[in-house]
Amino acid sequence: MRLALAIGSFVILIVHGVVFYNQFFHKWENYQTAYFDQARSLAKTDSEKAALEGRKARIEQRIVTQFGDTRVDRCATCHIAADDPRFMQHAQPIKTHPYSAELGDVQANGKWERRHKFTDFGCTVCHDGQGRGLKQEYAHGDDEYWTEPMLGYVVQEQWRKEFKPFLKGKEYMQANCAQCHTEENFAGTPLVAKGRKLFFSQNCYGCHRIEGISDGTLGPELTEVGKKFRIDYLWESVVDPTANMATSIMPNFHLKPDDVKALVIFLKSRRGMNFAETGLARYEAVLNLKKPAEGPAPSAPEMTGPALVAKGRELIDQHSCGACHKVLDRDGGIAPDLTYEGAERDAEWIYDHFKDPKSRTADSIMPTFRFPDSDFRAMTAFLVAQKPQLTAAAPADTYKALCQRCHGEKGDGHGPIAWYLDPYPRDLTKAGFINSKTTERLTNSIKKGVSGTNMPPWGGVLKDDQVNSLLQYVFTTFTKEPRKEIKPLQAPDKNPVASAADSIARGEKTFVVRCSGCHGKKADGKGPNSLDILPRPRNLRNTAFVNSVDDHRLFQSIMYGVQGTAMPSWVDYGLTQNDVGDLVNFIRSINVKLPARTLNARGY
Amino acid sequence: MAVVHKAIAHNTEAEPRMNRRRMLGWLSSFGLFGSAVLSAFSNFVFIKPRATYGQPQRFNIGRPDDFPAGARIALETKRVCIVREGNKIAAISTTCTHLGCIVGIADTGFNCPCHGSRYDQDGNVTAGPAPKALPWFKVSLAPSGELEVDKDTEVEPGSYLTV
Repeated sequence: MRLALAIGSFVILIVHGVVFYNQFFHKWENYQTAYFDQARSLAKTDSEKAALEGRKARIEQRIVTQFGDTRVDRCATCHIAADDPRFMQHAQPIKTHPYSAELGDVQANGKWERRHKFTDFGCTVCHDGQGRGLKQEYAHGDDEYWTEPMLGYVVQEQWRKEFKPFLKGKEYMQANCAQCHTEENFAGTPLVAKGRKLFFSQNCYGCHRIEGISDGTLGPELTEVGKKFRIDYLWESVVDPTANMATSIMPNFHLKPDDVKALVIFLKSRRGMNFAETGLARYEAVLNLKKPAEGPAPSAPEMTGPALVAKGRELIDQHSCGACHKVLDRDGGIAPDLTYEGAERDAEWIYDHFKDPKSRTADSIMPTFRFPDSDFRAMTAFLVAQKPQLTAAAPADTYKALCQRCHGEKGDGHGPIAWYLDPYPRDLTKAGFINSKTTERLTNSIKKGVSGTNMPPWGGVLKDDQVNSLLQYVFTTFTKEPRKEIKPLQAPDKNPVASAADSIARGEKTFVVRCSGCHGKKADGKGPNSLDILPRPRNLRNTAFVNSVDDHRLFQSIMYGVQGTAMPSWVDYGLTQNDVGDLVNFIRSINVKLPARTLNARGY
Repeated sequence: MAVVHKAIAHNTEAEPRMNRRRMLGWLSSFGLFGSAVLSAFSNFVFIKPRATYGQPQRFNIGRPDDFPAGARIALETKRVCIVREGNKIAAISTTCTHLGCIVGIADTGFNCPCHGSRYDQDGNVTAGPAPKALPWFKVSLAPSGELEVDKDTEVEPGSYLTV
């Protein structure tokens, strides 16, 4: 018993001793003592000796108030020789911070003078890290919960292995230089400038918004991205967009590591608010923000003919259309092939689609780019001038060249770009749908396309016999089931119910009760059941589509359902022809005719 | 009585001076007492803050060349007046010793705007309620070539740094 007490009391003493030692004996004290000893032996003149008199180890801190939030930087507690030029050759932490002309330091009479004085700037303004930390792992930001590890110096444990080698290097600090040096082409931050160029050349600006720089809405806003995320996350998001969010539709641009680095540095420099800015300066900057020029540039000479086409080619290359589309030997693998665009569409369609993609394809994800009108005209002229001959003769080759990108190798509608299209490409293997439609209607869909969707009119590319043989190829290869004779269904050619306010109101009531489960309360095809259904319910606000469909087809689809889809036959569920007439009136009423175009004032 | 006395005497004679039991007792009390002392001591050390959240008391003010001969320049935010006479430099506090107002520089020395205290060029009180002269602070030359003022260390009035 006494032995246990004796051992226990010694254990307690040892624990106390360890805690006491850890709490009151610090590594930084050893560093400072070592520094004072060495400095004393180095001191030659009386004034140098006098300066060291009475110095003893203590926490050295600088309170930096001029750059953003007040910072407390205690880095000099260990790095006590940072401003003492005699310690140039020593080992860290008792080492002079290097002088460099690039940072604006000047040498006069053999003595360097710093441009960025540590008393004013502190350390973390440039280096990041945790200014208050007094232990290396905390101060440098090795700790995985610290969001600002020392830029370019510290690689955190949990970062992805394959990125780690790329995430070291002093050049990352340029992101922090750019916090005050916001000039676009500041000589000290070449990588920020390169990243900014890439942000435009790779079309990032089309989807992402950065205040004062770009206006994209498709992707997340990046104005404060540098404040929120560490460089490993930024790197990962650029080279592997789906790593963090599996549903991300951001393309992988396959950039070289050098380019990714520049882009990451540029993004890291986006912190929303610059250190050097005051609230007033920022307000003034927002007031004076230069908006991209809308409408024609008055001074630019009007181009025509081949010059315009050549200019269009150059612009399409410059604006990186190939980052998503297949055009000019590039293929982004996201958006439709533009090789045959000129043969499919006319100039008016292409130009309108450029100005506002959703005006032509209601659910397109293509961003609305704010290029000047002259650029759109030139790019339209280039696309229209492209009229390549289809070399493939056999229908199988035609399918491969024209259809496979969307409808897929197996014809099941899961082509490589299908994921990005809305509505989803038709599943050609569904005999229930294909064999319930007349050959005439299917031929029409190929030749004239389907308005408001991504199905283009192939009439300009394929001749009639080619369309027929392609359709036969689809029947035999994908649909497989033999076609049966289609019995004509009884449906009025024109809506017998006159379109009036009370009819529309009745139609809306029926719609909410019967249709909204799948087609959605807004009739946009996104009802609660829509995600369980393929093909997805039709977006009934797709004006271009609804206006291209006649009353007869609407009546047929509602009254007798659409075979091969989830649309049931509503006659069986008690809707009369007049009820359907009300519904058709309601659907028409939410799709008024496209307004007269005002865009074509200058020739298109 | 005698029996009891005898018994005790017998015990002390039969057992050695330091037996195992006593040894363990000593060791336990040493351990417990030691840790009690350590914890009491650490409590006292703990009371004293390691760092305070004010501006640092030792700071650089720039190169000697920034202060021409004969200059008396008050650094408002640092609350100190840099005096240079020829090649001699000193730092005098500009915090009034009365109630802590910032004194202004006048031809005669320093004037406090709050309650009219007056100091001469060296900071000695000439008029008003101020109880003490303005303190002088240690000025030294940092290795980087900049002047360093240490407001934690007061020096005798009239002691200058020669540059």
